[in-house]
Amino acid sequence: MSAPLIEVDSVSKSFWIPDEPRHTIREHVMAGFRPRPRRHLPVLDSVSLQLHKGEALGIMGANGCGKSTLLKLVCGIYLPDAGTITTRAPITPILDLGVGWNPELDAVDNVYLIGGLMGLSLAEIARDLDAMLDFAELRSYARMRLKYFSSGMAARLAYAVAFQAVRDVLVLDEVLAVGDAGFKQRCQERYREIRAAGHSTLVVSHDPLLIGEFCDRAVLLSGGRIVAEGPAPDVAETYLSRLVKAS
Amino acid sequence: MSSKSIGLAWTLIRTDFKTRFHGTFSGFVWALLKPAAMFLVLMSVFSFLFKDPSYKLQLVVGLFLWDFFAEGTKSGLAALHAKSFLFRKLRVPLWILVIAAIANPFITLMVSTMVIVLFLTAIGQPPSLVAVGLFAFYSVSMTLIVVGFSLAASVLFLKYRDLNQVWDMVTQAGFFLAPIIYPLNIVPERFHFYFYIWPPTPIIEFSRAALVSGHPASVLAHVYLVLEVAVVLAVGTIVLKRMGPRAAELV
Repeated sequence: MSAPLIEVDSVSKSFWIPDEPRHTIREHVMAGFRPRPRRHLPVLDSVSLQLHKGEALGIMGANGCGKSTLLKLVCGIYLPDAGTITTRAPITPILDLGVGWNPELDAVDNVYLIGGLMGLSLAEIARDLDAMLDFAELRSYARMRLKYFSSGMAARLAYAVAFQAVRDVLVLDEVLAVGDAGFKQRCQERYREIRAAGHSTLVVSHDPLLIGEFCDRAVLLSGGRIVAEGPAPDVAETYLSRLVKAS
Repeated sequence: MSSKSIGLAWTLIRTDFKTRFHGTFSGFVWALLKPAAMFLVLMSVFSFLFKDPSYKLQLVVGLFLWDFFAEGTKSGLAALHAKSFLFRKLRVPLWILVIAAIANPFITLMVSTMVIVLFLTAIGQPPSLVAVGLFAFYSVSMTLIVVGFSLAASVLFLKYRDLNQVWDMVTQAGFFLAPIIYPLNIVPERFHFYFYIWPPTPIIEFSRAALVSGHPASVLAHVYLVLEVAVVLAVGTIVLKRMGPRAAELV
């Protein structure tokens, strides 16, 4: 078996929350540059997982269990405090839809802006521009400024760019359910195409049905640790039963 | 530097320019006219105040270069804070955001340079190719100094939120430290070295020497300038490399 595309090995991450805010040079000088009293907020504790080529791995867990922090670590947005993260393929993170949209620009300029930020070259954007606008059903609104778009139209455009920008690994954080039923259906079809083309995906969701249907394996996080791991439907069920117990 | 990075930098600069001027042709023309209008206003006022024609031209060259330095460092310092919503959700090379923020003042400097060269030609003192080449070299040097400062200051600003106010005060004092409104020769020569440590000073002095007086600075002076640029760029790169990977956690 070839080496995993993403290897998270015993990764821990915590944040230090200062009790006394010091955001300015003046505040540091007034405090004589003494160390600040800070509270330790552990988020992830020795988490290990692997994502193999062509695999879809779901990550589940209650709010605040460290799912989004784990994705940001995998995407290189945060650095781990301990442990190592090895990535052997380019990653496309979709942690939020429409990050970087400029409402004063039209759809085409926004596609160039967001496409570039997501790693597409100018030539790739120019080549796929019509396909993206068609997927979002916005070809006739191509030159309309984004500030006049409805939130649904903007979300469709965001999906269109994000799906076009997918490289070897797609990382999704709670963003697989926008738009009307028809558009949702097309998103799911596109997701399946991406899977069929051999891309790997890392999906964070609270939705057991989505994880069960779209992922091969899943892990369940609780208190910053992996508490369950296995076939996606089984982990989704464990997640549900823990929720029922907690309530 | 990959073609994707260059493409992204170009898109950020283009869309920022388009947003600033509302994507209209008149907006673009205004962006070009602004430095030209400023040049005309300054030259008219200075012609009334000062009779020495070379002094007023030296003043204008100094003011345009200073304006780029002040505006460029101000925009560069705020670059990462202004675009923090991007690197908190995406992995974006931070240096691209800094470069894109400096582009607008740089465009203004380019237009100002054209206006000065056209003016000199119009009054029968066309600068030589060597002088124009030297001025281009000084403009690039100033740009690299602004980039180096901004690389460091932009990431430090995420941690120290009053750095912009401190820098405002420094630039206000720096305006008078740089020989913009006075000639450096009124300062005793033994103090010149200290004045030259302030990066805009050598660039403004050398630019005037090349464009207006026609006596370029010595080779040794240019070596010092290159060293100064290299030090500022190196410090900026080191600070960004050290603090950049944790930028998303600083916001």
